[in-house]
Amino acid sequence: MFSKFNKQIDTIFLDKDSKEFSIKERVNVIISPSLYWVQKVSLPVKYVREVYALLPSLFEDTLPKGVYSYSAYKSGDEFYIFAYDDKLILDTLSHKKINSSQIKNVYFAQSELSFIETPVKIDEIQSLYVKDDILMLIPSVWLKENSDLNLATLTLSKHKITLKQFSHLVNDKSLYTLIAIASVLLVLIATEYFITMDKVSKTRTMKEKLFSQHKLKSTMFQNRAMLKKLSNTHATQTNLRIYMGNILKIALKKERYLSLVEVKNKTLKVEFIGVKLGNESRIIKELQSKKVPFNSSVKDELLRLEFKL
Amino acid sequence: MNRINPLHIGILLIVILAFFIFQLGEAKKELHETNILYKETLTLSTQLVGLREVYGDKNAIKKSINRILNQSSLKSANIVKKVTSTGLKISSESMDRGALNSLMGKMLNGSYNIASLKIKLLSDKTASLKMEIKW
Repeated sequence: MFSKFNKQIDTIFLDKDSKEFSIKERVNVIISPSLYWVQKVSLPVKYVREVYALLPSLFEDTLPKGVYSYSAYKSGDEFYIFAYDDKLILDTLSHKKINSSQIKNVYFAQSELSFIETPVKIDEIQSLYVKDDILMLIPSVWLKENSDLNLATLTLSKHKITLKQFSHLVNDKSLYTLIAIASVLLVLIATEYFITMDKVSKTRTMKEKLFSQHKLKSTMFQNRAMLKKLSNTHATQTNLRIYMGNILKIALKKERYLSLVEVKNKTLKVEFIGVKLGNESRIIKELQSKKVPFNSSVKDELLRLEFKL
Repeated sequence: MNRINPLHIGILLIVILAFFIFQLGEAKKELHETNILYKETLTLSTQLVGLREVYGDKNAIKKSINRILNQSSLKSANIVKKVTSTGLKISSESMDRGALNSLMGKMLNGSYNIASLKIKLLSDKTASLKMEIKW
């Protein structure tokens, strides 16, 4: 009934010389001593977390040039410390046809198989052997007797590791620096974003207040149209007053009268009587000097002027 | 392999950062446009309120015209006033030159929307008047 939930997860032993695996479900992986470096050390510290800071310097002289991750666990008063190349292990897994998504947990052979008392054969060429509490690989031909490796009944420890897929591209220090910078930038930019949005909201509120305060129409289109209409009215009325002022300033000779003033359809019409043909030039010149645009005509001693308002 | 990879956190942060940078750009653009619209609304409302007070305040125009027409110098002109929904009309069959000068001086110096006007000379000293003021 609970088989689905208590499903047994297979465990495989991964070595550089392992054959290709054909797996369909997630597996636990025990990595061979050929894929890590291990030391058993006695250090004047109490906790494993204190050891981690010392690991790069403890391996400094033993490791070839490269990018490594480190791990450690305590056994009795001593510590087992490990150095491993994530990319090397991931590449090996990949060559053996195992995707990282198919891996449940990864363990060192040291932490899982160091209990063996007699050599254990992993294939025809290599065997596992424990010497001075350190699990190592030795050629199978050196041994007269050895047993086969049986992982089916193995109970795994808690000493698992996490492989970093891009550790060869970005080291941890750079990554944490990058995360710190990105976090600070994120806080700054997010803050500025929220401040800007707040300003947008306040400006919109101020605009809405203008609408209600001045009883504007609901859309800017309507308000623009209304302003245009009133501006045109204002321009027409201003022109009317300017033109009337200019006309009323004209000094008329005797027997000349302003007989008609008419405003209609944005046009101002003015008529003077007593102006003979050829004598109208003084009135016209006077208006032209004011730079007022108009049309004029004379007929039967009647001078007609027309102004567009 | 179940533990969250710090690199994934870094990439996620950069993606969120890129998202906020884009959003900030959009927000700045929006703020700029909102500011422009606000300034336009402010200018428009100031102008509109000013012009509306001058040409659209029906009661103020009526009151002002009544004050002009009630002047003693215009009593003899027999000016007829007719109020419509869109404005008011003033007319006089015959008024003397002094009354006409007084009325027109006040009308042209005031801010009224004179939609139509007709002043016709009747004799040396009299003229007829028709005027329509709109609001």
